[in-house]
Amino acid sequence: MRAVVVYKWARDPGGATVRGDGSVEWRSPKLVAGEDDHAALAVARQVAETGGGQLVGLTVGDGDASWALARGVAEAVTVPDAPVQADQAATAAVLAAAVQASGGADVVLIGDAEEHAQVPTTLAGHLGVPALLGVLDATVVDGRVQVRRAVDGQVETLTVTGPVVLAVAAEGPEGRAPGMKELLAARKRPVTALAFADLDLAATAGLTETGTRLPEQGTARLFRGDPADTARELVAALRTEGVL
Amino acid sequence: MSTHAWVLATGTARLAGAVALARTVSDEVTVVAVGPGPLADAAALAGVDRVLRAVTEDGQPAEALALQVAGAAAAAAPRLLVSTDEPAARALLGAAAARTGAAALSGVLALRADGDALVADRAALDGAVVQTVSTRGPLAAQVTVEDLTPAAGAAAPITDLALAGSPDVRVVGREAAGTGTGLHDAARVVSVGRGLRAREDLALVEELARALGAEIGCSMPVADDLGWVAKERYVGRSGQKIAPRLYLALGISGMPQHLEGVRDAKVVAAVNTDPDAPVFRAADFGIVGDLYEVVPALLAALSE
Repeated sequence: MRAVVVYKWARDPGGATVRGDGSVEWRSPKLVAGEDDHAALAVARQVAETGGGQLVGLTVGDGDASWALARGVAEAVTVPDAPVQADQAATAAVLAAAVQASGGADVVLIGDAEEHAQVPTTLAGHLGVPALLGVLDATVVDGRVQVRRAVDGQVETLTVTGPVVLAVAAEGPEGRAPGMKELLAARKRPVTALAFADLDLAATAGLTETGTRLPEQGTARLFRGDPADTARELVAALRTEGVL
Repeated sequence: MSTHAWVLATGTARLAGAVALARTVSDEVTVVAVGPGPLADAAALAGVDRVLRAVTEDGQPAEALALQVAGAAAAAAPRLLVSTDEPAARALLGAAAARTGAAALSGVLALRADGDALVADRAALDGAVVQTVSTRGPLAAQVTVEDLTPAAGAAAPITDLALAGSPDVRVVGREAAGTGTGLHDAARVVSVGRGLRAREDLALVEELARALGAEIGCSMPVADDLGWVAKERYVGRSGQKIAPRLYLALGISGMPQHLEGVRDAKVVAAVNTDPDAPVFRAADFGIVGDLYEVVPALLAALSE
């Protein structure tokens, strides 16, 4: 079973600075691993170990491709000149084309990033395979992928025959960063670069960004001042709402 | 240009809100109801013009039909595709976006038409800004909406979608995620975040929960990094999603992953030292203050 784990594929909100007028400045054009990427990688390793196959990393955009190579992935494919796009379907099209160009996949694992929530699902659509979201873990049993996921306060177990995209949401930050030995070994692992212009991309309608602004002030009634007073005000408000 | 919208539904949560948002830019709104049979009947009362029904078999998740529904979307070519953030509905939206060549967005808050362009406002950068984007072609919008009660009206007609040959995806087991906690069904929840300085200080939170008759929840760092509260009490995107009458967040910053878990709460109140904390954007009421001073004051106020 061939597993592809996608990492460093979108701008991380933590890399942005919001100015007073709501405009956005990105501190660096380079992409970094997203906050869910380590969780997708952990599940990808599990799939590769139980499925008895290859695990390949896939990354796009500028920035260091060795993140996954330092964490147990033996080889990576990168599309370094892929542009950052507001259209999540366009990002998904790049990822899908790169998966196909690099040999296809039985399982694609990707972070279920809230900021780009339509990328995993549209990636699956472009590949013509089902998508399962909110994945907690996955293993391969008798050639089929067995998936556990969180949904509606329950944990569901599903089986999938045939290819699938699994989107994994991290439950916490990465537990252990790689050490110097792993970082140095990563530099020796093969990275295949694909040119954006050479990819067989699905057409998408495209989006034009016209700007950003600050959100309207929240509707929260904020109480300030002496704790005894603010507590009394809050209790009175909640009683008025009928929830106390 | 006349706009036809499809709302892809796998459940009724926030469906009327999604329909209302689609309606703001559409002349005709169809719900595609993918799930057990009764879902289409509920969708027909959500203020739509038409319902297309795709019934799932026992043990078949809606995601198994995503590619077939996408094929139907490609044939019908609606200008606008909409889903809520329900995982199965999201999966349908992505499949349909790929097949129709639509641009795709998540976190959409508002839509409007500008000539023949569709313009969307979306929450970006963890809700820190509203980003405005536009497209002249089809658009797939995962929307963030409140739940609405649709106005009473006649049920829309229901037509069955003929779908064949879905991938083999099966639900083979289900278990309660929050074994032992009453969090899911609680009417009141007191939740604690990184503003708590030490594990022993949980006693303060527990005392307030008792006074309110509330269950205890928490944000991710408290459950996961610190291990101070059982993981089953974590509220958020990959934890519990709850709908209490009152959700009181103490020392919680309000990251989107956490707030997703309480979007259906009736009243959200928050205590945080930072008046600009994101949690206040989601709250109905807030106290700007240190929870170590405010919680004893709340206990006193409750006993008056």
